[in-house]
Amino acid sequence: MKRVLSTLLVLVVILSMLAACGPTPTPEKVIVTVPVLQTVTVKETVPVVVTAVPEKPTEVTYPRNETLYVSGAAWGPPSDWNPFITWSKANTTGTIGLVYETLFLYDPLSDKMIPWLAESGKWVDADTYELKLRKGITWSDGQPMTAADVVFTYELGKKYAAIWFSPMWNYLKSATATSDYDITFEFTNPLYQEWDNNLYNIAIVPKHLWESRTEEQITAGANEKPVGSGAYLYETHSEDRNVWVRNENWWATKLLGMKPAPKRIVDMRFSSNNVALGAVVKGEVDLSNNFLPGIATLSEKGYVKTYFAGPPYMLSANTAVLFLNTTKKPMDDPAFRKALAFSINTGDIVNVAYAGLVKAANPTGLLPSLEKYVDKDVVAKLGFTFDTAKAKQILASAGYKDVNGDGFVEAPDGSKIELEVTCPFGWTDWMEAIKIIAKSAQAAGINLKDATPDYGAWNTALTTGTFDMTLNNWAGMSNTPWTLYNLLFRHPIQDIMGSGNFGRWNNQKMFDLVDKLAATPSSDEAGMKAVCSQIQELMLTEMPVIPLWYNGLWAQYSDAVWTNWPTESSNTPSRLPCTWSGYWQMGGLIMLTELKPAQ
Amino acid sequence: MRRYLGRKLLIYVLTFFLAVTIDWLIPRFMPGDPVQTMLSRASLHAEAVEVMHGYYTRAFGLDVPVWRQYLNFWVAIFHGDLGTSVYLFPQPVIKIIMRAVPYDVFLLLPAILLSWFAGNWFGAFAARNKWLDNTLLPLGYILTATPYMWLGILLAWLFGVVLGIFPIAGAYSFSMRPHLSWAFIGSVVKHWFLPFASIFLVKFGGWAIGMRNMIIYELEADYSHYLEALGAPRGLIRKYAFRNAILPQITGLSLDLGVIVAGALVTEVVFSYPGIGYLILQAIQNQDYFLIQGCFLFIIIGVLLANFAIDIAYVIVDPRTRLGMVGESA
Amino acid sequence: MSKRKVRSETLYFALRNNKLRVGLSVILFFLVLTFVGPLLTHYAPYDYVNPLGAQPPSAKYWFGTTMFGQDVFTQFVHGLKATFLVGVVGGGLGTLIGILIGFTAGYRGGVVDEVLNMITNIVLVIPTLAILLIIAAYLKVRGILTESIFIGCTAWPWAARAIRAQTFSLRSREFVDLARLSGMSPWRIIFTEIAPNMMSYLLLVFILQFGGAILNAATLDFIGLGPTNAVSLGLMMNNAVLWGALLLGIWWWFVPPGLAIMAIVGALYVTNVGLDEVFNPKLREM
Repeated sequence: MKRVLSTLLVLVVILSMLAACGPTPTPEKVIVTVPVLQTVTVKETVPVVVTAVPEKPTEVTYPRNETLYVSGAAWGPPSDWNPFITWSKANTTGTIGLVYETLFLYDPLSDKMIPWLAESGKWVDADTYELKLRKGITWSDGQPMTAADVVFTYELGKKYAAIWFSPMWNYLKSATATSDYDITFEFTNPLYQEWDNNLYNIAIVPKHLWESRTEEQITAGANEKPVGSGAYLYETHSEDRNVWVRNENWWATKLLGMKPAPKRIVDMRFSSNNVALGAVVKGEVDLSNNFLPGIATLSEKGYVKTYFAGPPYMLSANTAVLFLNTTKKPMDDPAFRKALAFSINTGDIVNVAYAGLVKAANPTGLLPSLEKYVDKDVVAKLGFTFDTAKAKQILASAGYKDVNGDGFVEAPDGSKIELEVTCPFGWTDWMEAIKIIAKSAQAAGINLKDATPDYGAWNTALTTGTFDMTLNNWAGMSNTPWTLYNLLFRHPIQDIMGSGNFGRWNNQKMFDLVDKLAATPSSDEAGMKAVCSQIQELMLTEMPVIPLWYNGLWAQYSDAVWTNWPTESSNTPSRLPCTWSGYWQMGGLIMLTELKPAQ
Repeated sequence: MRRYLGRKLLIYVLTFFLAVTIDWLIPRFMPGDPVQTMLSRASLHAEAVEVMHGYYTRAFGLDVPVWRQYLNFWVAIFHGDLGTSVYLFPQPVIKIIMRAVPYDVFLLLPAILLSWFAGNWFGAFAARNKWLDNTLLPLGYILTATPYMWLGILLAWLFGVVLGIFPIAGAYSFSMRPHLSWAFIGSVVKHWFLPFASIFLVKFGGWAIGMRNMIIYELEADYSHYLEALGAPRGLIRKYAFRNAILPQITGLSLDLGVIVAGALVTEVVFSYPGIGYLILQAIQNQDYFLIQGCFLFIIIGVLLANFAIDIAYVIVDPRTRLGMVGESA
Repeated sequence: MSKRKVRSETLYFALRNNKLRVGLSVILFFLVLTFVGPLLTHYAPYDYVNPLGAQPPSAKYWFGTTMFGQDVFTQFVHGLKATFLVGVVGGGLGTLIGILIGFTAGYRGGVVDEVLNMITNIVLVIPTLAILLIIAAYLKVRGILTESIFIGCTAWPWAARAIRAQTFSLRSREFVDLARLSGMSPWRIIFTEIAPNMMSYLLLVFILQFGGAILNAATLDFIGLGPTNAVSLGLMMNNAVLWGALLLGIWWWFVPPGLAIMAIVGALYVTNVGLDEVFNPKLREM
């Protein structure tokens, strides 16, 4: 009896599971719903419904050799496909890049803007930018893309403050379609650097499907079943995956002869890196962009491929910077900050905490892809290295002495120094890194301890400026050094510093320099270099932030099903092998078109 | 009897009220600003952050007075509206939870019930059976003393990595869409098996030992010896002992339903199984007020319902309870 | 029978009880290791001692080293201390609260029972993690002791309910009725008539609480809500899993902590049954 009962229970549960797994479009269901639709909706909304429906009966199992499995770009269940909800980009990587596309692509490895939806774009004078849209691009519902779509998208930023690029309208005066394929942008005092950056980050949406939406739908709608212009279409999703299927009518196949090799991309969301590592080892994932410690071992054993065959294995993606709270003592003293910079054993962070998976940063913090903007003379003169003796010496000559004999120095005014270096709990690599930072500072006589509050508490301390010192890396790969300096020296100083200058270093000279850089045209490389050199000199003299190492563009891939992955070698493509949101436009998409099936 | 259950019901309604109030209160005591956290995850450019902050504070209803927020919370609950998730913006919390619930039911119900029945049966069987007691019972001790995640890790490693028989992540194959076929059902069961097994095994050990100890206790009670002296058959004595011993086990079962959430949580994390446990962890890590509240509300309702059901079962199994409740106080 | 004789008889049976002997020796072994272990190692738990990173157990590093070259044995013995502390403080507190509430509710019945039962129910349904989250957010640095007290304060409901249920069914038995008729006060009845009849049950409760506290702590540590400034066995497992020890074959990192928890908690349970048999002559193996 009991056995029968429990068997029954299990059956019921399995059935309810199946029911909950989501409706599979079966022919019966379609037949049932059609008459209802016709009788109820007599308005002109019917054709819209019809265009959204033409989904063919899709395959329910995906052939392995046609499917690309990726992971590491997102952690949570897919929640939206709206290209304007930027903070959830982590949840739906590919919305921008695979479905919605940008006017340009940017290749950090060659530092080139690649015309994409745009055929060309140029500054005709200091305040006018003319853009030519490519002819023959169609949305996935068959409608052509025109200049009106671009103008509509850009003007969303003017209409709605919640759109991330709305600040651009502080200097953008107007966007006008002069023909179906020509757009003229008018400015007053444009920030050229940001403009370029936006060119490959703003995703163009179809006006005919978006113009009737409310503000809330545009800025906060889930946008299920997105209609874009890109190489892939949304197919399905569940809690732990998002599936894209190739758009066989993609414009670039016709116009540029590019065709992505995988018919489907399954974006897998793993709860932990451990699970991701397991999937990589078992060959269930073709491209993993997770941070997987120990990948060096696996790479050397030949289980996986990485961009570089030897250390640091990965390309560099962003700079881990130690922000010092300059409103607190003794971090308000440049000598103390400088001593701290000399005391940190970056070598141990690179070799012990990361087992050689990262590279020590240039003292200026600029990524290797922006190396040309580093003023080597300034670095040679003012740069820092790990040197405990030097750190002690700087402290001593600035008046920091161990008065009470506890092994740690006191401030020149005799007050005790007790400091904390933080990172969010659970960020394992950083947790190891701050342990090393604390230990090496202690060796130089600075009483520094590591602490790991939860993310929320850490974030509050960061943005309200109550921390002592903390790690941050919120400036990603970019076309311009301004991105990093905009993070490090954001201004003006406000109560909440949400997007940079967390240490609240208030230096008008630096702020002016960063503004000057922002307003320098990208074509004026010499001008950019000159400003960068001044920024670097001031930064390394005052040391308000300490760049430590470059976090990697974590990427490990398997040759089992797909080959021709990007590597350093000259006979493979050189692209960013990355599926992170924002990186499809920086090489990920083109990589897909260059992949080849194995055998 | 009806009066007894009526009073119990009243208590549960009261409990529900208090529990929901605390549930509402808890996230609001937390330092930190959820909108700020959410926006900072975006690593946005520039001034957009400040503008968006105000916009979303209004959108999330955090700008009205606290008492209003509380009232709104109750009104919303009865409309099945648990707010919008911050972490999985713009998905409604109720939708997210309803997608996760089936996985939990599918994982927990069989694991809990089967382990309870099997454990009790095995424990009762092993009691006073010297050979079983000495050989198989140590296994029970080892199982019940094993941390869930450690067993999960070992199972995942052995069957997932070394032997490669079972998958170690997801609820069904990454190469499938849900549909009705044997292949799909097979895939679902295959993904379900290891998480199920790790919860089942640990719980099984616990119930078996509990039952074994209770049975021995009862078999040595005076009434057992009395019955024995009267020449009652051994089977009858064991039956009485079993009926007495099962009482604490029933209580234990009702309590376990609440506690097991933690066990399920780590198991779901180890196996990337998309249930509520995993959702809670994500919600906590992302400071998602609404999702945390929603998950907790579901657990509260679940535990209360289970407790009530078990209260009824308890009354049916132990008639003395009825007398104790109604007879004495009169 | 004199008291002395009872005691020596108990001792006699205790020494001859195999379960007790096995259980106690395992616990004793780990206790000794907890106190002697730190003297056997000259490293601190988080020191990077082995520049080669993860290395299997050897003469120099008895339990091998972690991915960063930290000595696993050092972490292990320091983690043991945390485990025992959590068990004693968390388990003790949980039992104490459970006994007080369980007896009162079970014996008094009526309104008292319902009020206490309601409190129990509320504490039971409020998910433990939520409260820990608050504590975690307010306390910048979480310690082992905080964790233990917290576990104790949230783990008592099941004990209270179980003790209440037992008291309940004992309450309507004849000997309790007799005592009540003879005019004994409620607390006297509880302590002279009911409690002795539940002694092994209470012990079972404590030992389950002790073990449960250890397991709870391991769970919290594992999901990253454990102490932020200490070593514990759960944290070791957490780190091992986070750093992929499983798939990289660094088994010496995650096997010892899990095995130790299992051994200690298992030994506690076995000890409990053994003790039960010693104190309760009827239960001794025939």
